[in-house]
Amino acid sequence: MNALILSAIWGVVMMFSGIFTKSGAAIRGIAITGLALLLVVNVLDFQGTALVDINTRGMLVYNTFSYMFLNIVFGATLLYFFLSGSDMERVGLHLAEYFALIFFILAGISIVASFQTLLMLFLGIEIISIPLYILTGSDKRNLKSNEAALKYFLMGSFSTGLMLMGIALIYGSKGSFSLETIGAGTGVITPLLGGGMLLLLASMSFKVSAAPFHFWTPDVYDGAPTVFTSFMATIVKVAGFFAFIRLFETSFGSVQAQWQLFAAIITAATLLIGNITAVFQQSVKRMLAYSSIAQAGFMMFALVSLNGKGSEGLIYYAAAYSLATIGVFAVLIKLNDYTFEGFNGLGKSHPLLAATVTICLLSLAGIPATAGFMAKFYMLSAAVENGKVIWLVILGVLCAAISVYYYFRVIQAIYFKDGEPQVAEVSTTFKVVMVLIAVLVVYFGIFPQRLTDFLYMVY
Amino acid sequence: MNTIFQLVWLIPALPLIGFFINGLLRNQLPKAISGLIACGVLLGSFVLSVLVFLQVKAGAAQTVHLFDFINVGNLKIPFDFKIDQLSSLFLLIITGIGFLIHLYSTSYMHEETNGHFARYFSYLNLFVFSMLLLVMGANYVIMFIGWEGVGLCSYLLIGYWFKNVNYTAAAKKAFVMNRIGDLGFLLALFMMINQFGTLTYGDVFAKAGEASTTIITGITLLLFVGATGKSAQIPLYTWLPDAMAGPTPVSALIHAATMVTAGVYMIARSQALFVMAPVTTNIIAYIGLATALLAASIAIYQNDIKKVLAYSTVSQLGFMFLALGVGAYTTGVFHVMTHAFFKALLFLGAGSVIHAMSGEQDITKMGGLRKKIPITYITFLIGVLAIAGFPFTSGFFSKDEILVAAYEKSPILFWGGVIGAIMTAFYMFRLLFLTFFGSFRGTHDQEHHLHESPISMTFPLMVLAVLSLVGGLVQVPHIFGGHPYFNEFLAPVVNSVEHTGIETLEYALLGGTVVLLAAIIIMTFKKFSVDSADGEYTGFKKVLANKWYVDEVYDFIIVKPIRFLSKKILVFTENEVIDWLVNGVGRSVQWTSRQIRLVQSGQVGSYVLLMVLSILVFLGIQLLTKK
Amino acid sequence: MIQYLLQVTNTHSADSSFWYLPVGVQFIFAIVFVAAMMGLTHFLGPKRKTSDKLETFASGIKTHGDARQPMAIKYFLVAILFVLFDVEVIFFYPYAVNFKSLGWDGFMAVLMFVAFFLAGFIYIIKKGALNWED
Repeated sequence: MNALILSAIWGVVMMFSGIFTKSGAAIRGIAITGLALLLVVNVLDFQGTALVDINTRGMLVYNTFSYMFLNIVFGATLLYFFLSGSDMERVGLHLAEYFALIFFILAGISIVASFQTLLMLFLGIEIISIPLYILTGSDKRNLKSNEAALKYFLMGSFSTGLMLMGIALIYGSKGSFSLETIGAGTGVITPLLGGGMLLLLASMSFKVSAAPFHFWTPDVYDGAPTVFTSFMATIVKVAGFFAFIRLFETSFGSVQAQWQLFAAIITAATLLIGNITAVFQQSVKRMLAYSSIAQAGFMMFALVSLNGKGSEGLIYYAAAYSLATIGVFAVLIKLNDYTFEGFNGLGKSHPLLAATVTICLLSLAGIPATAGFMAKFYMLSAAVENGKVIWLVILGVLCAAISVYYYFRVIQAIYFKDGEPQVAEVSTTFKVVMVLIAVLVVYFGIFPQRLTDFLYMVY
Repeated sequence: MNTIFQLVWLIPALPLIGFFINGLLRNQLPKAISGLIACGVLLGSFVLSVLVFLQVKAGAAQTVHLFDFINVGNLKIPFDFKIDQLSSLFLLIITGIGFLIHLYSTSYMHEETNGHFARYFSYLNLFVFSMLLLVMGANYVIMFIGWEGVGLCSYLLIGYWFKNVNYTAAAKKAFVMNRIGDLGFLLALFMMINQFGTLTYGDVFAKAGEASTTIITGITLLLFVGATGKSAQIPLYTWLPDAMAGPTPVSALIHAATMVTAGVYMIARSQALFVMAPVTTNIIAYIGLATALLAASIAIYQNDIKKVLAYSTVSQLGFMFLALGVGAYTTGVFHVMTHAFFKALLFLGAGSVIHAMSGEQDITKMGGLRKKIPITYITFLIGVLAIAGFPFTSGFFSKDEILVAAYEKSPILFWGGVIGAIMTAFYMFRLLFLTFFGSFRGTHDQEHHLHESPISMTFPLMVLAVLSLVGGLVQVPHIFGGHPYFNEFLAPVVNSVEHTGIETLEYALLGGTVVLLAAIIIMTFKKFSVDSADGEYTGFKKVLANKWYVDEVYDFIIVKPIRFLSKKILVFTENEVIDWLVNGVGRSVQWTSRQIRLVQSGQVGSYVLLMVLSILVFLGIQLLTKK
Repeated sequence: MIQYLLQVTNTHSADSSFWYLPVGVQFIFAIVFVAAMMGLTHFLGPKRKTSDKLETFASGIKTHGDARQPMAIKYFLVAILFVLFDVEVIFFYPYAVNFKSLGWDGFMAVLMFVAFFLAGFIYIIKKGALNWED
């Protein structure tokens, strides 16, 4: 709760900081301070020390999973600020506004991490989406960026419409927005409720870019300035997943049999389309867009299996995936050439960057001893535990194998091809944070409990 | 009293540290330093082992818990060290003889370059570490880790001179043969987990009582398969003679004194299982005897000094298994100990001879060396006497006991053992006389270079010679007024056999030994203390010289068919089927990728249309599947 | 149907989609009505096709140039900001109506609302969004 308030206020603070100073370093400093405060406040809240206590009348309910998830989100954003904060300056003049928008997005994420009514879900999703439309188009002089923003806005509005329609249908059948009330009486699904549920499924799938509602993803991720793609593809996406699972677990958990098939179809389609299309991409940025779809397929396993292991796994996956992807994007931003050839010879010219980015890529591919492996393992074992979707598990393993192809293409370019990569100036902080990310990826890959144990900590 | 047990982890840790230092800094360290580190860590381990041994002797055996190694579901495998009479004895043998051999190696390997010199010692340290794990582990998993570790080190050290293709081939052979045995060991472990749910020694032995004899027989047979690989018994013994490709001190340490006795240790450790499986113990006894005889017969006509010793090792290992097979577990372990003394001595002596002969290993080209290298000669002589079972040397007592135990079991085993012992004496004296007596048969250059080895090489020889002489006194039979201290010491872990009413046999053995040895010495002296010798043999001798053609037979019935099959499979399955499949999968993924990419047209309208269509399809499915 | 229209007793539960039938009927009626009207005018009305009819009619003045003329963004900005603040002001109405019953809590809440409101206002002024002259 406190994180929500603070992030909203800090968004305003960031807006005004742009008026009083033009120094990029100062603005970055304020943003990083704010985020650090956010993290501290949230951890304190987690431990039961709330700074302010506001009665939300049951509209927002925080539990261990919410707090843990928010900790991961804030932590990942902090690393993201350290790595790519300076690159935002290259996008345009309005640095302070970009940070402000990101803080507003974080406020939205705080809502979707804790919503207990459909109303709050809608508000949260919109608070996340609208700043994203702006960030996508923030490179105003770039036609691709404009096109992406417009596309994103149009299709995003469409999915918002679907969601509203779904909420309306559900309200019509149940007379309440409260997730628990909806979940309480749904022994049987009436056509009205079923229709609403399907529309929610579709619109949430859109937000997490699950096939066949993923079409916006490659175009938008490719068109948006790379710094913001990095944020969208990681933190925003996992927030969407958290909302997705929370919604379906509380409201429709008892009628899982009615929609598990759809979720499974969406998962299978996402896995296949994401992985297979990524194979043929020429640009690493676009490949990462498809890879984010593919990873979304794995996160969908949590929805399909809908058990404790799945939720736990989602938290873990969120951390593993965000860390690795932020790392890869951070290095990509520094490169001049976004094609695979742009990475040629990086291993020789920048051994440290090459090594850390390789660890991140290995984690994304799910190679053992990295967090990505344990994350996939969690997801697949959750599905196995569920027992009804073994075919999906097999498909998941096959797709993970395909994913090795395109991730290793980058590694191959880094180490086994000669070239003179053009890399922008890299600060010491950047290197330190990259090493930190690599260490975390390996650490969580070897000791996964260090992360998930927090979920069962009692203060 | 417990302080020493808290430090027990240092015993294997020290060689591991040595391994890391020498392995990582091999190109930086001068030879003196890397030699010093390698010897120093071993000396440290040895001192600790002695302290531990004294504690254990005072009755303080215990299991030391280090940390939880594997903890999955019901399977708990702690990383524990079991420090009891059996393991502390092995600790002494490994670190003591290991230290002497390290010391010896500093001179022997001195001609290597810095990097290779340090590499040698890092392997050697790693070997000691693995071997210590093997004997100290409190469950089969840790034993298995050490078991694999020593196999790896053996492979690395046999192929130490990796530029020689024959040597690397020998290394590969050792590795493959060992792997066959390891598979048996591994299967035994799986079976134990399946049957008992634990691999900790005490728990396994406690639960074994409830299992059926068939299962115990299965487990013990599989364990024995593992032992045949590591301890070079029929049918997996052929790697050991080839393993002589490694440096001579390696042969002394790994392929004579320690690693090859791992099988004996394992069976002695698992005694509780083996006593419940009489079928297995019978098999062990007969395989041990057969190995002893076969290897001894081969050794008679070998001309390579190390090959003779290698076959003699195989043969002696056969004796140890014979002892285990007839139920005399302590005797087997006793022979491990005495054999470690005199075989390490003989190998190091052989190394000293080779060193003196500028790398020559063919005994037909030696002769008359006793005056040139007197210390080596005297110590070697002691070794030969010990292995031949000359009365009151260490070998006499241990071999004597094996024969006595075999006699109580069956006359076949006894007489077989006697024949084996006679052959042992024969080939050892042949070796001695050909090498040290008669006149020199080598080239002029070699004669010119003949010299006694430096003190760092002769010192270990002298120590081992003393041990070979007196090492048997810990277990002197009744008739000589002795007392079985050794059996008593091991009694808490390994049961021994009480011999009663065998004084006559003991006297007969003593008398027989003296008479036979005298005969053999005179005969071999006449035959082999010669001025010229040639290595060509005909008829049956040729069969023996060619090792009964066992390698060729294996080659014909196993290697060739597998090669043939694998070639066929390579051509057909690999190239035609697998490649087609693999490449096909790759190509079809790429093709699909190209097609799916087209859906991503960039048109918002078509995107939205596709989304709406999917929603309609979902709605349709929901309507149709609704009950 | 009759039963429904007359609201006679029926067996459908309150949760049933049965109750959305009027909405459906309304939809169908709307679609049919619009389609019918458009079709009717299309078929019934007289048609005379000349090229002059396709010309842009601009009060008799001859057309020239493109209709998509660039326009100063300031018009747009001021207009959208006006709408924005205008709409925000609407929130004062319900407060005014319930002024007394909401008491001090309500007052504080509105004060906060106004504070945010003002923050936004100060922001746009400071950003120079309302500066007409450059």
